[in-house]
Amino acid sequence: MRKIGSGLRRKIGLAASAVCVVSVSWLRMPVQTVCASEEPVILRVCNWEEYIDLGEWDDEEMITLDDGTVIFGEKPLYEEFEDWYRETYGREVRVEYSCFGTNEDLYNQLNLGDTYDLVCPSEYMIMKLMAEDRLLPYSDSFYMESDANNYYINNVSPYIRKTLETNEINGESWSKYAAGYMWGITGVLYNPELVTEDEAATWGIFGNPKFHRQVTLKDNVRDSYFAALGILKADALTDEAFVRSADYRERLADMMNDVNPETVAQAQALLDDLMDNLYSLETDSGKADMITGKIVANYQWSGDAVYAMDQADADGFTLKFAVPRESTNLWFDGWVMLKSGIDGSARKQHAAEAFVNFLSRTDNAVRNMYYIGYTSSIAGNDRDDTIYEYLNWCYGAGEEDGDIMEYPVGYFFSGDNNDRDYVLAASSSQIGRQLYSQYPPQEVMDRTAVMRYFDADANKAINQMWINVRCFDIHDVPMGIRIVLLAALLWIIWIFYQKSALRTK
Amino acid sequence: MNRLHFQRSQLCIPYGLFLVCFVFAPLVVIIYYAFTDGEGRLTLANLTSFFSSPNTIGTLAYSLGIAVATTCCCLLLAYPIAYILARSRFKHKAVILMVFVMPMWINFTLRITALKEILTVIEGNLAYHPFLNTLIGMTYDFLPFMILPIYTTLEKLDNSLLEAAADLGADTVRTFLKVTFPLSVPGIISGIVMVFLPSMTNYVVLDMLYNSTYIMGSLIGAYFSAYDWHNGSMIALILLGIILVFTMFTNRYADEDAGSSRGGVLGS
Repeated sequence: MRKIGSGLRRKIGLAASAVCVVSVSWLRMPVQTVCASEEPVILRVCNWEEYIDLGEWDDEEMITLDDGTVIFGEKPLYEEFEDWYRETYGREVRVEYSCFGTNEDLYNQLNLGDTYDLVCPSEYMIMKLMAEDRLLPYSDSFYMESDANNYYINNVSPYIRKTLETNEINGESWSKYAAGYMWGITGVLYNPELVTEDEAATWGIFGNPKFHRQVTLKDNVRDSYFAALGILKADALTDEAFVRSADYRERLADMMNDVNPETVAQAQALLDDLMDNLYSLETDSGKADMITGKIVANYQWSGDAVYAMDQADADGFTLKFAVPRESTNLWFDGWVMLKSGIDGSARKQHAAEAFVNFLSRTDNAVRNMYYIGYTSSIAGNDRDDTIYEYLNWCYGAGEEDGDIMEYPVGYFFSGDNNDRDYVLAASSSQIGRQLYSQYPPQEVMDRTAVMRYFDADANKAINQMWINVRCFDIHDVPMGIRIVLLAALLWIIWIFYQKSALRTK
Repeated sequence: MNRLHFQRSQLCIPYGLFLVCFVFAPLVVIIYYAFTDGEGRLTLANLTSFFSSPNTIGTLAYSLGIAVATTCCCLLLAYPIAYILARSRFKHKAVILMVFVMPMWINFTLRITALKEILTVIEGNLAYHPFLNTLIGMTYDFLPFMILPIYTTLEKLDNSLLEAAADLGADTVRTFLKVTFPLSVPGIISGIVMVFLPSMTNYVVLDMLYNSTYIMGSLIGAYFSAYDWHNGSMIALILLGIILVFTMFTNRYADEDAGSSRGGVLGS
């Protein structure tokens, strides 16, 4: 996920996140000791801030789905996991839960010697950790569908599963090391009163002079570089023949991961120009600035877009989300086990895999989605359609709601978008709105590209490119002013020198 | 039982330990990273690349520009206020002083957020004047740090000196230029030190007021989050060098001035 998670229950999350830094379970005695000689396993989990349901829901927050399933968050999920593990496997586990702020922070923490067993970075950081041989592959038993407690493999969306399986690094597919948690796409959040959908559905909006100083881009190199590539290659990306070509997805992924020195230089020049058209770069303030009307469009992650649209709805006006026609960035966060933390302990690995399975139980996935606001990688299965029921609970509409459309989400739930079981009856006003952002339609998913981790040289090049864009170029100062300033500086130093010379006399 | 008895040098041990752990040791680490490359070889490349790139030099210039401008604004605003306050015959001076210092009690993030809204109302769109906004934000943030030291020195000023000046025929302007101002220089210097140095690196103000240009502080952060600890450490070290040179100059000037003023007042 992105730097700052936003949740429907964020206000509660803020208060509770103070607790999240230190594991509460340290303070509690185990309720019962199954095997007196066995010390509890300690599982060190590090996750994004506000990225897990912390429980303590109010009574009116209880969700009752159409099929009668009741969802209610009582305790933080990582605490409930301890109870579940004891009941299911008859063994004790203690979770030490902590949080990180950005992927880079997590990576630096790991390098500084912090040890964790299970962490939840984004796809490119997973690739980096994989390439550095720091991850432990999940055991074969984790993937056994016959075991009913293997919630992850039984419930994960076929779409996410396929994405993880088909993306490889050094000949190994991601699915061996990573279990999907949350996912989303990027796009443009816009104010439909001032921006048309056509204007918003392109990365070119950030350079559009019509919105001079009224658009924001993200304050990180990967998102901004993606947008820059989308603008640079707009013609090629939207070419009919290209879009229809048989190997479209592969070529699209290659184009959106182009780090040729030439392309990087072009991107730098482009971003330099864009900076003169932007309101600012932001990480978190864009949502509020859209709501207060300071800006009319901003680069946004789908989950945060949902949050902003909800907030705007509460304030009585409308924001919409558009996915650029060139391409969009499919991102996800996944649970990975670290070799340094697990350190060959089979019990620890078992607990870590069980933790992932516990979070993948459909009711827990719903709790997380409700709390975090992002879309879970969990879809359920033929026997358990809690997730789909939750989707229906959120967005389903009846005759009385006016214009109804059929909204197929089969690609995510069963792998077949024509599957009649997964066609949602939703209000047609949901196009470009929350449902569209959380579960984008198939045609949008067709133009997604995963942004990979770049090798050390390319990574250095794009980071340096970004620093160059952000820095003040001394060449922007006219030569005359530079000479005057330098002379003034020398003059001051001369005065000081003379004064001190006088003193020593 | 004997009473606890410490020698003076023993009392320094806690602070000494603090110094070693949190000042000296990190500094060694920074120096190590600044002069090595990714493979751990000794190198000066980080130093030369800083001074050869127009971007890093530009960032240094921009930071210095902001710091100098902020210091000047603070000084121009703070001196008259401090002077009026210190010279006024009003009985409850402390109350007025409090009014000026009170903003310091309110959380800094909150104040800048409020300022952002106020400036938006005035300017319409903040994006057109990033430098000006930063300057206003920084001045707003650091003004109390300039007022307090100047006020303190002016407050302590011996009234008999002013009376003597008047007796000897100096008018108000001359008294100010020849007596009051020179005697307040130590306060000005400590005000400058307290404003100039933090305003060179306080990038939170820039971030919050939508100025996307890097200053020294954010540049260090950018290198660290790009896992380039070597360049990041070098920039931190260069910044340290600038601060060191700056404080040396100001200390020398403050000492010298204190010395000469003593000579001027008490000397034969």
